[in-house]
Amino acid sequence: MAKIRHDDRGSLLAPLKALGFFTRAPVTETLAPRPASLNYRGFHVNDWSQCIGCGTCQRICDNAAITMVTIPSLPQDPARGIRNQRPAIDYGRCCWCGLCVDICPSGSIALTREYIHICRESELDSYFVLPDPNGIHGQPFPAGWAKSEVSELIDPARQPMKELPAPTRIQGFDEIVQGYEPQQAIDEAARCVQCGLCHEACPTHMHAPEYIRAIWRGDAEEAVRQIYRTNPFAHVCGRVCTHRCEQACSIGNRGEPLAIRWLKRHAMDSVPDERVRELVTQDSVAAPSGRRVAIVGSGPAGLTAAFDLARHGHAVTVYEALARPGGMPRYGIPAYRLPDDRLDADIAVIEAQGVEIRCNTPIGAELTMETLRQQYDAVVLAIGLQLGRSTRIPGSGHRDVHTAVELLRRIREGEALAPPKRVVIIGGGNVAMDIARSLARLQMRRHGAIDITVCALEDFDHFPADPTELKEAREEGVRVLASRGPKEIVIDADGGLGGLKTLGVTSVFDEQGRFAPRYNHEDEQLHEAAWVVEAIGQISDISILGDSLSERLEWDRGRLRVDENGRTAEPWLWSAGDMVRGPDVVHAVADGHRVAASIHQALQQHTEAGS
Amino acid sequence: MSEHPEGHGPAYEHLRARKSLAEILQSAAEFERKAHQFYTGLIPRVRKNLRYLVEELAAEEKTHYELFQRLAEDPEARQQIQERIAVPREDHRFSDYIQLPDLGDNPDDQAILQYALGREDAAMKQYRELAQNAPPGPIRQLFEYLANEETAHKLELEKRYYELVYGGSRMVPRV
Repeated sequence: MAKIRHDDRGSLLAPLKALGFFTRAPVTETLAPRPASLNYRGFHVNDWSQCIGCGTCQRICDNAAITMVTIPSLPQDPARGIRNQRPAIDYGRCCWCGLCVDICPSGSIALTREYIHICRESELDSYFVLPDPNGIHGQPFPAGWAKSEVSELIDPARQPMKELPAPTRIQGFDEIVQGYEPQQAIDEAARCVQCGLCHEACPTHMHAPEYIRAIWRGDAEEAVRQIYRTNPFAHVCGRVCTHRCEQACSIGNRGEPLAIRWLKRHAMDSVPDERVRELVTQDSVAAPSGRRVAIVGSGPAGLTAAFDLARHGHAVTVYEALARPGGMPRYGIPAYRLPDDRLDADIAVIEAQGVEIRCNTPIGAELTMETLRQQYDAVVLAIGLQLGRSTRIPGSGHRDVHTAVELLRRIREGEALAPPKRVVIIGGGNVAMDIARSLARLQMRRHGAIDITVCALEDFDHFPADPTELKEAREEGVRVLASRGPKEIVIDADGGLGGLKTLGVTSVFDEQGRFAPRYNHEDEQLHEAAWVVEAIGQISDISILGDSLSERLEWDRGRLRVDENGRTAEPWLWSAGDMVRGPDVVHAVADGHRVAASIHQALQQHTEAGS
Repeated sequence: MSEHPEGHGPAYEHLRARKSLAEILQSAAEFERKAHQFYTGLIPRVRKNLRYLVEELAAEEKTHYELFQRLAEDPEARQQIQERIAVPREDHRFSDYIQLPDLGDNPDDQAILQYALGREDAAMKQYRELAQNAPPGPIRQLFEYLANEETAHKLELEKRYYELVYGGSRMVPRV
């Protein structure tokens, strides 16, 4: 570019040249508004029906121009990732960069195509505006700058997980999921917008945003610290958690939710077990309290309570009826989903806090609940749901009719189970999938072929099993039949099991949404099999309580009645986990924390009272 | 359901021999009263955690018993019965596939509901058969009404059975 000298006065003829402009036709600008650019960045509009109140717009705004305002009349549902908050904009701060629009996980925010001052009368001195369903101050405006694939800041697809292919995995019980590579974990963590909806949805309120951020920074040890703030079943939940966090993840509104469970798994697998024990134990400094607590059952609820109580300085003894600790994760979840050594690693951390676990020590005949009451300051009952329900249809008492939980336990105990060539499973939940896939592996080993049929009451649109479980079961050769209700176990003339008769199910729920299956009695099928496995409801064996204690306790429609902290009608007895809340690992962990906090408070009160 | 807990034959014959609406309703009420007595007697035999179930069954039988008795004493009963049978209940026939249990000394919740289902199923079938065999008129209408009532009761029990057995966790002593 040519330089122009500041003192250059130009040509002497310049004024004459300027006079030439008078000869040109005048240009007139119309007073009527011109249409703005389609991508004009005017004021904010927000579709409240789409907005989930995640506050990501607020967090990305460098000028702190956005404030989340609570709207009490709007729905709030942490499990679905919905907050009753909506963004309000301070136009004294906004620079119209549009990042709030580009990051918005639901795509609800846009900028208007007009830039019109919309504050009126008493609002004239305010730049603070809450865009609502009526637009801005009741005036609707067409959207200009809006979310598009081009402006999207977040990758909508999650990092693919490496898994064993079906032909390989069906050969044994090796873990299917292989885990993320380090760079994959960083890339997946980079998708997180730190909205915290996962934290609110998680029953134990795990600090997922914090550990995901640590993973993104490459600091696995910090991630482990964050995980252990609320969950001592870190490896277990990194593998088999029901991951409610992912159902609430804001990114799931427009793409695939973050793989939060797999990120937790990655963090735990990235740090050696010994180092995890060091990290978790180094801040456990409580002095011995002199108080003793007994816990019956070594599943997630019991051991979480044990972990917390031991860190408070109480002497904790856990009584386990079976040979190894772990409860349902040990004896109910197949090793291809949860390898023993990962559960062992979690339990080793818990034991490192000073928890004593006594296996092969059932409570009942020799060691009674009354004995525990006398010997300990508090007792926790956390025995889970270790028995399977039977359909009790005709023939269900046959020796070759089994319950899924019993078979899963025998497989996990290492028994050389020998399933026949044909097996039928009744049920459509995750336990049905677990036993179907476990028996498929044993069939493959024994017979070189798989013949497993799963009969579920529900149709595929309402299937109770996790979709991934259903998909993987089918990939492994399990035949899954929806809308089949059990009618009768067929027993042949020699007393052998011939199979299961089912009826077609025309509907499962009534008008009120209650479980009330209706059958088509003309649609009967026989599924030939030498074993039938029932995988329906689960129950808890409470005979360990004894008659006297059962009478003293309060019950609520068959369930042990506990208060919001898990305390029963007996002041020395608390209860937690599946037997109180129903089957779910992460709920059991949350329950263990709740019960431990209540016991710790009660023991402190005893100490202060000198009792 | 192949057999009735209280015996199909005598009850059936007893009802068939009744000739007036009031007599039939009194007999039906008597069956309900016996059922109420049965469940009341069962309450102390089950563990405390399951008593709610037997207490509810006893209360339901008592409600039925009182309803039938009120109708037997009410001169407007025929009108009420006609109104009630105007909406026939559909039988899902689920109970056909549940075994009748031996309640024994310490029954679990599932066995208690199986028993109750069996009882309602058998009563429903009895009344339905009596209605089919009765000549058209008020007696047939009454049997249809009773069958309708038992069907409704059975449907409610079936839902509870499903919720109990397929619907999640409960606690029972290992037997």
